[in-house]
Amino acid sequence: MAFSDDQLERYSRHIILKEIGVRGQKRIGEGRVLIVGAGGLGAPAALYLAAAGVGVIGVADADAVELSNLQRQIIHSTPDVGKPKVQSAGEKMKAINPDVAVNEHHVFVNAGNVMELISGYDFVIDGTDNFSAKFLITDACVIAGKPFSYAGIIRFQGQLMTYVPGEGPCYRCVFVDPPPPDAVPTCSQAGVIGAMGGVIGSLQAMEAVKFITGAGKLLTGTMLTYDALAMKFQSVPLPKRPDCAVCGPSPSILHPFDYAARVCEGIAL
Amino acid sequence: MNDYAIDDSVDITDVVCPVTFVKAKVAIDEMEDGQILSIRMNDGEPAQNVPRSIKDEGHRILRLKDNEDGTYSLIVQKRGD
Amino acid sequence: MNEADRGGVSKEYDDGLTVSELIGIEKVRTPEYVSVSVNDEFVKSEALGGTILRDNDVVEFLYFMGGGE
Repeated sequence: MAFSDDQLERYSRHIILKEIGVRGQKRIGEGRVLIVGAGGLGAPAALYLAAAGVGVIGVADADAVELSNLQRQIIHSTPDVGKPKVQSAGEKMKAINPDVAVNEHHVFVNAGNVMELISGYDFVIDGTDNFSAKFLITDACVIAGKPFSYAGIIRFQGQLMTYVPGEGPCYRCVFVDPPPPDAVPTCSQAGVIGAMGGVIGSLQAMEAVKFITGAGKLLTGTMLTYDALAMKFQSVPLPKRPDCAVCGPSPSILHPFDYAARVCEGIAL
Repeated sequence: MNDYAIDDSVDITDVVCPVTFVKAKVAIDEMEDGQILSIRMNDGEPAQNVPRSIKDEGHRILRLKDNEDGTYSLIVQKRGD
Repeated sequence: MNEADRGGVSKEYDDGLTVSELIGIEKVRTPEYVSVSVNDEFVKSEALGGTILRDNDVVEFLYFMGGGE
């Protein structure tokens, strides 16, 4: 693929970077990234990946845009209320960069469709809002050998880590099993500061671009946590759990499965 | 005293910073290691900045030739990746 | 005198402190669901009460964060 003059200008700040260059920008153009959840985390990730020129970006979300989303989900605008999130997100991404092909997956990701969904992509961004989905994505990506970025946000706090097959621990190494329903609050119950999704979702986009281009070191084996009130980032080293049920040497989880649906998490945030 | 043969040339007088360097970088990228590129650029900012940026990338500057028409030709040998 | 390292800061605690007791002292918000590592190894939840901290142990707490939407 040769760059047009417009593309040279559009991507000039990337191409100038030694770590990206012409080759890296070409790789970005050939990259395929799936974003699960077009919400607080997925919104900034989708915008940055579209702006970067990632060739194919999938967005999976079954929800429609609600007024209460707009405080943080910056890919959606006031006139989008009521519209499927994947459609609203797709329109903004294509407006930013017509080079990008957007796959709109208007579905709830579940054990029945997750393997097929992730199979078409090089890298997955978990921008979901509930533990069932986070464990499902972890299991599916580990089983499929698919690198992905996990993130979670609540109140003034956020955390993220990257899983690469054969390297570092997975999300299940850290948290083993989801907490019982309502034991740990989600954003809809506890609130979240709008810019938190911007900080953490942008870091997820950063990891995707680094993975695609091979630039730098990925956030494997480490949980990066951000406390906005203390204004502190912290890198917490993550050991592998030798008996991890999905990424351990003798895994008991061989197929993705859904944790029982939880009523409070079914409410659209 | 040209002791080199030009393998390819690129004209970056039709673009402005930073696309000048970007266009040159793309041209270098398409060449083999050791090959020689002639880059035609405008006097002023491009002539000041582009040679330095190319040097920073590890390539070898062979010559900066004044074309005496307000442009310069920078002769560069590609080095590594 | 025991010293444990948490949140990038060094703190001193009484001798014989267990991880469970540390969770109480540090006022962990969801003590049943915190993930704890000591010196780069996860401590299983059933072992938290029996794990006694030693001098210069590095303890990390990781909390569930379910949000994202």
